[in-house]
This record gives sequence, structure tokens and C-alpha cells, in this order.
Amino acid sequence: MAKEKPSINTVNFSAAQLMEFDACTRCGECVKYCPTYDARDKNQDIEPRDKIQRWKEFMNKSYGLKARFLGPEKIAPEVIKKYTDDLYNCTTCGMCGTVCPAGINTIELWESNRANLVKYGTGPYGKQRLFPKLIEEGHNPYMKQQKDRLAWMTPDIKIADKSDIAYFIGCTAGYNQQVLGVSTARILNKLNVPFMALGEDEWCCGSALIRTGQQHINDTPKKSSIHNVEALKARGAKRVIFACAGCFRAAKIDWPRAYGKELPFEAIHMSQFLAEQLDAGKIKWEKSLDKTVTYHDPCHLGRHVGVFEEPRKVINSMPGIKLVEMKRNRKEQRCCGAGGGVKAGIPDLALGVAKGRMNDAKETGAQALISTCPFCRRNLLDGRDDLKMDMSVDDLVVLTANLMGLSTDVKPPAPGAPKESISDLFRTQIIPPKPPAEPKKEEPKKEEPKKQEPKAAVPPAGKK
Amino acid sequence: MTGLNIFGKEVFDTLFIDWQIMAAVAIISVILFLVGMYIQLDKWGRGIPEGATKPIGAWGALKLIVGGIFVKGIGHAFEVLVLDVLFQRRTYRRRKVEWLMHILIFWGWIGLLILTIVAAAAEFAGPFLFNQDYTYFVGVWQFLKLPNNIFGLMLVAGILIAIGRRLLSKSKDVQARNADVDWILIIGLLIVVATGFYSQYLRADVFQTPRDIISAYPAGFFDNFTVMFHEVFTLLFCVAYLPFSKYFHMIAAPLTILVNHGGE
Repeated sequence: MAKEKPSINTVNFSAAQLMEFDACTRCGECVKYCPTYDARDKNQDIEPRDKIQRWKEFMNKSYGLKARFLGPEKIAPEVIKKYTDDLYNCTTCGMCGTVCPAGINTIELWESNRANLVKYGTGPYGKQRLFPKLIEEGHNPYMKQQKDRLAWMTPDIKIADKSDIAYFIGCTAGYNQQVLGVSTARILNKLNVPFMALGEDEWCCGSALIRTGQQHINDTPKKSSIHNVEALKARGAKRVIFACAGCFRAAKIDWPRAYGKELPFEAIHMSQFLAEQLDAGKIKWEKSLDKTVTYHDPCHLGRHVGVFEEPRKVINSMPGIKLVEMKRNRKEQRCCGAGGGVKAGIPDLALGVAKGRMNDAKETGAQALISTCPFCRRNLLDGRDDLKMDMSVDDLVVLTANLMGLSTDVKPPAPGAPKESISDLFRTQIIPPKPPAEPKKEEPKKEEPKKQEPKAAVPPAGKK
Repeated sequence: MTGLNIFGKEVFDTLFIDWQIMAAVAIISVILFLVGMYIQLDKWGRGIPEGATKPIGAWGALKLIVGGIFVKGIGHAFEVLVLDVLFQRRTYRRRKVEWLMHILIFWGWIGLLILTIVAAAAEFAGPFLFNQDYTYFVGVWQFLKLPNNIFGLMLVAGILIAIGRRLLSKSKDVQARNADVDWILIIGLLIVVATGFYSQYLRADVFQTPRDIISAYPAGFFDNFTVMFHEVFTLLFCVAYLPFSKYFHMIAAPLTILVNHGGE
């Protein structure tokens, strides 16, 4: 009699990663810090430890000692589906790996596990399924036009055609968070740093696909990465500035893998660039702001890449600003809740985690929360609004631009534009309310219409 | 019954259990350990990372792991081995009580292992290097009594902390699902330690001549059941059973730390 096939498979895992499942000592250190476990009311199914133990059990049932001699033990499809859903209840923030006494590289482990389950057919989760088509066809997850990549530009901003310094804007800043684009560009202009941008030639960094385990679908992130690298190289870039932590993480870690070798340019985050300029004495503060602020380390800039001190250096140099730290900071910060596809796929979880982080900020007594990632900012704004908390949430670059005496105004916002498109700290602009939708003309009745639930106006892929 | 005769010299004539039983159990334990390790390596070697077309198998997994350890150079691998594996730096940073427990059990165990190897070496060194009879070994063994006691007590202290932690801190954050399985390990170690101390008591304290040649043992003492149980159980529980047990992390975790260069 032929032996039954294992219920799971081992694709997308390296041998070292399969070893990592056996390395977990079940100590539970990861559980103490997991932001999604907290946001899900300490549901044990969401624990990193429990997920590792469950997959280890699946592996042993499929390929362990007993399976070798008696054949694999069947795992019910609903058990694997449940595991998949629990696996996606994770922002891949990496906190579990940071604290793991066994040194398990959980970020890579979750991503491989997700890719495995996407191939298996139970992943990804909810709207994350739209990412491959959107990014493959439109080169961004927001269903926007490539020609609008630089639509945020105002007449005062100068972008060179060619320069050895490039600004990689990213989809979130380019389309939804114009205040970050204009602030970055104006700072570079003021510092007399000629820079170019790819504009229509800029494609999504691929982060959303990689984090959700969908990198293999049409090889889209690989194609995007190679496209971006080649385009930047062709335009003569030697240094590429990123103001988005997610894009920066992708460029530092994911792009070289896709490109197959070292990038032909240096990738640098805007906060690092600002710290450099500060050291060189090039930044002159023209204004002062008497505020106490706290700094949120984005996972993709901090834990994933290791940039912790530069943003703090810039904040500490600002006149009038007092920086207070949250209890959980630097390597041990709590995730904002948006990453790992959670914002698009499981918005209620993203909101729950964001509220946790905003409460961390509130404990410090700060008047504003500053971050260095547009995606974090958007989610933290949602958390703040849900809690009805009186605290500004803005980007370090926006704060820098203002204190350098620069305007942070964007083009007059369209009615109903995303709240994150303008500065939250310097409310010099308002977003006109969206006009009420015109009532639909009633068509002549042909048959009794089916009763439908009103659809929530939630845009795909985290677009708001 | 005598010891093992090698080239006319007698070794293991100071063991007070049959060396043939010990040799057989030791060989079986090592074989079972290696079979278990092979099955685990083969399981790991089934991984097919993105871009690969087929699994690398047990041998490939072993090569990948060993190669991975030295990617950042021998110096870095040595540093991680000492600080993160032998002294468990990652655990120390966050879990002081657990670190103390681990260190006491780990170093207690390693200490006893080293002293056992030293004693075994003395069995051979006496007749082969110094042309002496069993009395050479007896001298070494007496010299090792104090460090043996220290390492044994470290092990006991570690086990007591482990029991205390499990009995006193039952918060959900600490307890894993099916955490009760940990008791198997704790009770197993307790059996090893208790029978070990009893065996030592039999040899050292009841018979004032600390350890003697087999023929000098009183009737009924040779192949004493408790001593035999101690030796056989220790080999089977701590060597043969390890790769098949829930405590396989004792091997996989240090390897993971080494492959991940000390972790994040």
C-alpha cells in the first residue's frame, strides 16, 4: 500500500529555518513582547511560540521518526487554514526574534512560512490577495497612475534630471502622504543638494509582496527591484535617499537579494542623511518649537536595519524640542501595527496595535509623536483618532522642514484627501470634506432587487 | 569478574559494575543518538528554499549548518560559541533567573562530563603511562571528589530552580501549551542526580576504601542495582533519547545561535 503524502510541504524553507522550529525552547519571552498577541487579548493562537510549536508538530507528523516508518500523519485542512490565519495575524515586526534566547530569525521564518502557505493555497489573508495584481500591473498598491508619481510637486521644488543623489519617494509618500514628499524635496533644495527622482520610472519597492509571502507570484518584487536598481544606476545615482522606512528596508535587504549582488549605489535613510548634514554644520535651524515629543522607531528602520540613533540626534538638535522616550524604544519598541500586510489584510488588528503604541506615547506626556515612516504615521494617526487622543503625529522630515524655516504645505488638498497628506503638527492646511455622493438614479424596476448590505468604503492595500 | 584486558594491562577493573554492560549500553546509546540526529538532519534537509529545485538531504543540511556557522569567520564563530552558547548571553540579558538555572544545569552537567572523561583517562594512564596498578586511578578519583561534588550540587541547584519556577510562576505568559512535558525532563534529571549521589555514597562513604578493584568488593556490591540503574538510565535518557525527545532544542538551539551568528 502506498504511503500517504505529507499534509504539508517544505518549500520556501531553508534547512537552517527548519532547524529553527526545533530550536524553540518554549520559554515564552517572545510572548511578553508580541504586539499582535496583546492586541488580540492575549490569544494563545497568536503567540510566536505557539506558531513555531504548531509548525514543528506539523513537520514531525509529516517528516519525523514515526512518519518515516509508519507514514505521515494526516493534518486536517482546517487545521492548516487556522494556522495560516494565525500566521498572518502578525506584522513581521521581528520583536520575537530580537528577544528570542535561541536567536531564531523570526522575520525570515514567518516570511518563508507565509510563502510556503501561499503556494499551498491557504495564504495570504483577505485583501492582501490584491497586492500581486495591483503591483504587477500598476507598479503600486494604491491603484494610482504612474504618471502621477510626481503629482505632489509644487512649483518651488527643483528636481534635477540627472544627479548622483536620488530621492526614492515610494508609493505611500508619492500618492498619499504628499507632505513627506514636499518636505524632503524642500530640505534637499535648501541644503543645495541636487537630486533626481525616477518619477514615472519608479516602481513599488516590493515590500508588501515579500512581507506577505507573495514574492514568487510572477516574480514581481524581483522584477520591481531590478527595474528600480537599473533605473537608478542608469541615471547615475551613487546615493539614494529614502524617506520611507519600508522602502529603505527593502532596498537594504531585499533588493540586493533580487539583484544578485551588491547594489551599485548606497541606500541611505533621510534621517541618516539629516544627521550627516547636521554633523557637517549644514543644517541651520531658523525656528524653535516648544514641545515635548516622543520618537517611534519604525520596525523597518530600527530592528530590521539598525538605524536608531540618527533620528534621535536630529530631534535632540532641534531648538525648543524636548525628546522623551517611550518605555519601549529602540530595539524593544512596540510595532505600530501596519506592517506585514496587516493594515490591508486585517485592519482591526492594525488599529488595535496602533492604539497600544499611542497609549505608550501618551504615558510619556509628550505632545507629539514623531516617526520616520509614512506607513507607521498613517496607522498611528488612525490609532490616535480612534482613541480621540490629543497628540500630534508627524514625520521627522516634516518637523525638520518646518524648523528649517520651510513650508510644509502641499498643493491644496482635494476634498476628502487622506488625512495623512498634510502635516498634523503644523496645521496650516485643511482638507475640505468630501462632498456627499450624488444619489443614484433609480433604474426602472425589472425584477425584485436582492437586499444587499452596504459596502464599506475601504480601499485596497491599505489605501485610505 | 575482572576488568578489560588490553595488551596485558587491565583497565576498568575499578568500575563496580560490569564494564561489558556499560560498553554495550554506551554503544547502543551512541548509535541511537546518531540515528536520531540523522533523522533530524534529514528532516531539516528537506527544505527547498526559493530558487532551489530539490532538497539537500541530511548531509547537505549538515554542510550548510557547519558552513553557516563560519560565514563570518572563525573568530566570530568562537566568540558566539563562548558568549552565546557556553555562557548564554541572550538569556542573561532578559531572563536572569532562567539564566542562572540554565548555567547551573549546563555547567554542572559539563563539569561532571569532563571529570568523568578525566577519570576514564586515569584508568588508562595508570597502567599505560605510569606503569601503576589501580591505585593510580584511586588517587585521581579521590582528588576529583570535591569538584565532582561541586558540579553535582550545581546540577541539583539548577533543577531546584527549574522546579520552583514551574511551581511558583504559572502566569499565561510563561506557560506554553503542553508545558507539562517539561516535567519529564526535570524528573529525569532528578533521577540521574539522586541515583548519582547515592552511587557515590555507596562507593565513598559506606566502604571506607573509596574505590577498589573488583575482586575486593564485598559480595552483593558489585553490579549493585542502583548504581547499574544510574549508569544505564543516564546513558539512555541523556544521550539516546535526546534527539527523539521534546528537549531536542538542547542541540538545535545552540546550533541556531551559531548559524545566526548570535542572533539579531
